[in-house]
Amino acid sequence: MKSDNKLLEKLLDVFSNTKIGEIMTSPPIVVTPEITIKQVKDIMKIKKISGLPVVKKGLKLVGIISIEDIINVLERGNLNDNVFKWMSKNVISLNENNTLSEFIDYSQKYKYGRFPIINEENKVVGIITKYDVITWLFEKLGTIYIHDERRKKVLNQEYTSKLTGEILDNDKISFNFEINYNDIQKIGIGATKLKAFLKSKNINDSLIRKISIATYEAEANVVIHSDSYGQIYCWDFEDSIRLLIKDYGKGIENVELAMQEGFSTASEDVRSQGFGAGMGLPNMKRFSDKMTIISEVGKGVTIEMMFYKGD
Amino acid sequence: MTLKDILKHGFLESIYIFNDNIEIKNGYVGDLLSEIMRNSPSSSIWITHQTHPNIIAVASIVEANTIIIPIDFDFEIETIEKAKENNINLLKSKYDIFKTVGLIYNCLFGE
Repeated sequence: MKSDNKLLEKLLDVFSNTKIGEIMTSPPIVVTPEITIKQVKDIMKIKKISGLPVVKKGLKLVGIISIEDIINVLERGNLNDNVFKWMSKNVISLNENNTLSEFIDYSQKYKYGRFPIINEENKVVGIITKYDVITWLFEKLGTIYIHDERRKKVLNQEYTSKLTGEILDNDKISFNFEINYNDIQKIGIGATKLKAFLKSKNINDSLIRKISIATYEAEANVVIHSDSYGQIYCWDFEDSIRLLIKDYGKGIENVELAMQEGFSTASEDVRSQGFGAGMGLPNMKRFSDKMTIISEVGKGVTIEMMFYKGD
Repeated sequence: MTLKDILKHGFLESIYIFNDNIEIKNGYVGDLLSEIMRNSPSSSIWITHQTHPNIIAVASIVEANTIIIPIDFDFEIETIEKAKENNINLLKSKYDIFKTVGLIYNCLFGE
């Protein structure tokens, strides 16, 4: 699988904006939660596939059942059990409008062999595996050989700072944390871990406080608003601390409006817990020395912040 | 002033005490987390109606070492667990938030 990834990465910037809808296998073979494992096994065998999305009425995704699950049934269950009992319910799906590069991010992140694809109406419209991507690419290209070293830098997914223009090297990340967006109570774990990390680096307390608060706010936004996992990256430079907080979710419709103090789209439930006061982005701006936010609807949010170490 | 000095007045029930010798320099009152982070001084007591586990993360970020909730409120179990992990003192007042704040203010800054 490793070589697959390398090839995908090389080809990434050529086709990174291609929509998954173009590449996926569609329509997908799907099953419902009520049918038996035995039936699924037979479908897999006949169709020579290793995993199927599980859907309920209206092609709504409820899970995924794969050959690994079937093996579990053989070991511990009964082939007459229904799919619902054994399917993975925590299924990661992509939208048909996601790009190839987003698929690659996901497949590196989640290590799953296949992702169901849904459309804007939340209906399952396809399935994508690395095999689909490679087949598609080779159809498009015949053979390709990319030898440009400069391109390699881009392909390694380095981030070019929007604040300073310099490259923030992946290899030099001092701290990173994956934001769990499934639980509002987990907000702040990343910020507190980052705080402990910065303490261990002997950075002065008031700077740590500013960074922790700004990170907490960014983390809260990912959990409350994005519907996507997120990542906190921190670089500890000689003169400054650099932070990048990224998610892959809904994005912000109107950044200018979102920056206004008091503006919030948080639900009542979230507000009752003291979030959603519309101070998140303003706080980030206030506590960082420089900040930029990049977002587009459906394309996630990237926040970059810079904190000078000098007093 | 230490937390122990404040506890002597008897209007606070200890839910979880990590360290009652801890120095209390100041206090802050509020329920909006972003607002707390913006304004709360460090080494302080935070008095709030919020009881969910997330307040522990907020308290440790702003270095409020002690959280107090008023009468008729209860910390969630997970909040207490998290307080233990993060060394935050949890207390519950015998009075509503107004009276609680007044009493603590007197302890810290009164004659």
